[in-house]
Amino acid sequence: MSPPLYRLESVMRRYNGVVALEIPDLSIAEGRSYILAGQNGAGKSTLLSLLALLLPPSEGTLYYRGEKVFAGTPHAFRVRREVTLLHQSPYLFDDTVFGNLVFGLAARGIRGEDLRRSAGRSLETVGLAGFERRKARGLSGGEAQRVAMARALALSPKVLLLDEPLANVDRETADVLQDVIASLPRAGTTVILATHGPSHPAWSGSELLRIANGRIDPPPQPGPEPANPTDGD
Amino acid sequence: MEFFADSMNAALSLLLSADPDILHAVLTSLLVSGGSILLASLMGIPLGLAVGLSEFPLKRPAVTLLNSLVALPTVLVGLVVYGFLSRRGPLGSLGLLFTPAAIVIGGTILCTPIVAHYAMVAAKGADARILPTAMTLGAGPVRAWLKFVSEIRFGILAAVVAGFGRVVSEVGIAMMLGGNIRGYTRTMTTAIALETSKGKFAEGMALGVVLMAVALIVNVFLSLLQQRRP
Repeated sequence: MSPPLYRLESVMRRYNGVVALEIPDLSIAEGRSYILAGQNGAGKSTLLSLLALLLPPSEGTLYYRGEKVFAGTPHAFRVRREVTLLHQSPYLFDDTVFGNLVFGLAARGIRGEDLRRSAGRSLETVGLAGFERRKARGLSGGEAQRVAMARALALSPKVLLLDEPLANVDRETADVLQDVIASLPRAGTTVILATHGPSHPAWSGSELLRIANGRIDPPPQPGPEPANPTDGD
Repeated sequence: MEFFADSMNAALSLLLSADPDILHAVLTSLLVSGGSILLASLMGIPLGLAVGLSEFPLKRPAVTLLNSLVALPTVLVGLVVYGFLSRRGPLGSLGLLFTPAAIVIGGTILCTPIVAHYAMVAAKGADARILPTAMTLGAGPVRAWLKFVSEIRFGILAAVVAGFGRVVSEVGIAMMLGGNIRGYTRTMTTAIALETSKGKFAEGMALGVVLMAVALIVNVFLSLLQQRRP
């Protein structure tokens, strides 16, 4: 039996001595979709940042595919390239839409036609085909959110972490993003979506993780192996 | 007012005649100022970013020290560097005193805190999401930091402009470390001081006009760079 995608063991995260997150044990299976539901300040964003390896735990151990991950190591860097976090209020670089889309691809050494194809395809996915030359700073809020999603999708991440992706977006953008997010687990992408309300029908097939005061309650049992995991690319 | 008008006329005549001494002073000024700001940027920008973004013990005193060094007196810099480079000093064997390299060393010490200060301010005011965004998109530390600098480029350019403005207009370091040697270490500012002390106000004014023009051109150039959008 292969190890879970993530396992958190006695993980704690403090800010200025105050415990923001405390997880005795948590496993995340590959290719599944999870809803991380909780109020503001519950610890959702902290947990996503830990899973994205943007933040090291103050205590405890994080395993990825059964291997311990230590912050700042080449292994952690390789893992981070499989995981992408889409922030609640995403930051777009002061560049064109195309420049934003290709930043992560270029970091992976992808060049030329492959790069342009990936960028174009991801823009099409979010319904913004032809936006490549637009200035990122000139986009509306909904367009910016969609470009941020396209930027993440262009990387074909194995894990996509979404922090309140539908907060503060118009109806049309919300519909587009919901469709895109719902399709990801079918393609083998593990999705963990933080939200205030888990009741939306689009998330009906997802496993629910309730978080409050930095604790997941009740601790979920590890799910079965995904039926059809993919290797991604 | 007549004095100024006469001096300006004489200054224009000198400039139009392309006086070799003036041209050399201009070139020397640009060379030593360019060298100083280049070295100061290489040290000051990373220093400012590090102080602005990281937390460490004694950060507050470090910031206060950095802010204080912005007003570093040029004569003091000249004096200390002179002590190091003079024949009896620890670096006297290098034979750098009264060379353009000595002025570059002094100018670098003078404007590094200025560049670092402005870079620190730019870094502290930067959007906190830049680095996490770059990292979650797969950038390594170097690429992520380069992206960060690129995103705050206007603040960084302001740092470079401020540093250049300070070093191109200073006179104490150039005089003490360069020695104001005609055709070798004479800069615009030391030439202005010399010509004025000799009562040659027209020559001094001509160099003053050039100094202003150089400062203006550099600022216009950097402003154009700032306005360039991807």
